[in-house]
Amino acid sequence: MRYGMVIDLKRCFGCYGCQVSCKAEHATPPGVFFARVVKRETGTYPNVRKVYLPMLCMHCEIPPCEAVCPTGATVKRPDGIVDIDRELCVGCRYCMQACPYEARYFNDRARWYFGAQGPTEYEALGYAQHPVGVVMKCNFCAHRLEHGQLPSCVVTCPTKARTFGDLDDPQSEVSRLIKERCGEPLHPELGTGPSVYFLPA
Amino acid sequence: MGVFTRPYDTLLDDFQETARPQREWVDGRGLLLIAGHFLSGVGAGGWAFASAFGYLPGEVASVLLLAASGLAHLLFLGRPGRFWRMVKVRTSWVGRGFLGLTLALAAAVAYLALTLATGRDDTAAAGALWTLSLLGAVVVMLYKGNVYAVCRAIPFWNSSLLPILYVAYALRGGVALLLLFLPWWGAGVDQGLLELLELWIGLSAGVCILFYLTIMASASVGARRSVEDLLRGRVAAAFYGGVVALGLVVPLLVGLWNVVTPVSLGLLALVGAASLSGDFYVKYAIAKAGRYLPHVPGAR
Repeated sequence: MRYGMVIDLKRCFGCYGCQVSCKAEHATPPGVFFARVVKRETGTYPNVRKVYLPMLCMHCEIPPCEAVCPTGATVKRPDGIVDIDRELCVGCRYCMQACPYEARYFNDRARWYFGAQGPTEYEALGYAQHPVGVVMKCNFCAHRLEHGQLPSCVVTCPTKARTFGDLDDPQSEVSRLIKERCGEPLHPELGTGPSVYFLPA
Repeated sequence: MGVFTRPYDTLLDDFQETARPQREWVDGRGLLLIAGHFLSGVGAGGWAFASAFGYLPGEVASVLLLAASGLAHLLFLGRPGRFWRMVKVRTSWVGRGFLGLTLALAAAVAYLALTLATGRDDTAAAGALWTLSLLGAVVVMLYKGNVYAVCRAIPFWNSSLLPILYVAYALRGGVALLLLFLPWWGAGVDQGLLELLELWIGLSAGVCILFYLTIMASASVGARRSVEDLLRGRVAAAFYGGVVALGLVVPLLVGLWNVVTPVSLGLLALVGAASLSGDFYVKYAIAKAGRYLPHVPGAR
């Protein structure tokens, strides 16, 4: 079993739904986006095209973040998910420098969206899962997977650009899409073996 | 706006396909890490030379600098109380650095206590402690460059030249520290040898920087942008003012002048101070210029 995701760039039209739903699911503090949509312009005027690239933790097969972690807080689970043990993280941020996909965030201090008003009830409840002084990241919504649900960003995508499944199963939808549509990960030359594949736009 | 800890343009950067600068290890509390790297390098280099020369003021200063570097590292951590967990040395250079610093400090303090108490440094115990302290100092000199060099995500750092550069600067920092003491506690140290070492290591460091930048200027997009940042961008002031002028030009000019006509001890101490400033700025500039790989080829 190795969880993985395929993102069809032809279907993604940059609605930022994944980004917002991830934020709601994980109640991440201001400035933190486990799933984010990066935009890019290609071509030259007047033939310019805007391309959207949804980014998240790539849950690499050989995660560089895990190798550099001095405390063993970053772990690779048997199901392929790269997760952080918040009780072990010392907040050195070495993993953030090692991650080629910039998928990690450091929770430097308690903060919320509405300034002097203080955290809302939702924020107070949600932020309790993100201790201050440690690094945080996407975990493929492991808590949802435990209940047989798909990750939040996959469920929310209105164009069904995201497909989630088992990369080790050659019959799974993700394996089929990668094979038939020549899916590729980002930066394969680094040898990290990402579990997130992109189908060409 | 007030709710964001990071400036708004930083947030906007998150959504652009570009070689983003790294900020965690240089901005805000990140400066503590730079200070920690600087102090540990000077402390380790200083210990190597001062203990080899049997120069007590230098030994004491080096131990204090190593302790201060440990404190700076600790204050940088998000959870300093968990520092003792940083022992995964099999794959992590931060873990190796932590153990190296601990070993260097503990052995150096024990060595100083033993030699001061007995008045002898030729006993077997003193020899063993000195060897251990030197081993720790070597790890401290080695770890910083390697911490950066293994980061493939930041092409400017991902170079095997960087550990060499950091070791050269640590050794040079050690000599500079001893030069700084000459006007006050100059007895018992070979001044001529120090001047020669300073000149030679300074030249080596300059050549090393030149090689490093030349290689990086023709490397990948992220590395090229970092070199641009150093030479004519957001880090240019620190690079030209700190690394080149203070760190290389002033020490080399005074060093060459000293070959022709011996200069005063005060001027040599000034060379030490300028070298140390350059050492700090090297660490600052290299960290500040670091940029992540763009997500897709062709992006800037």
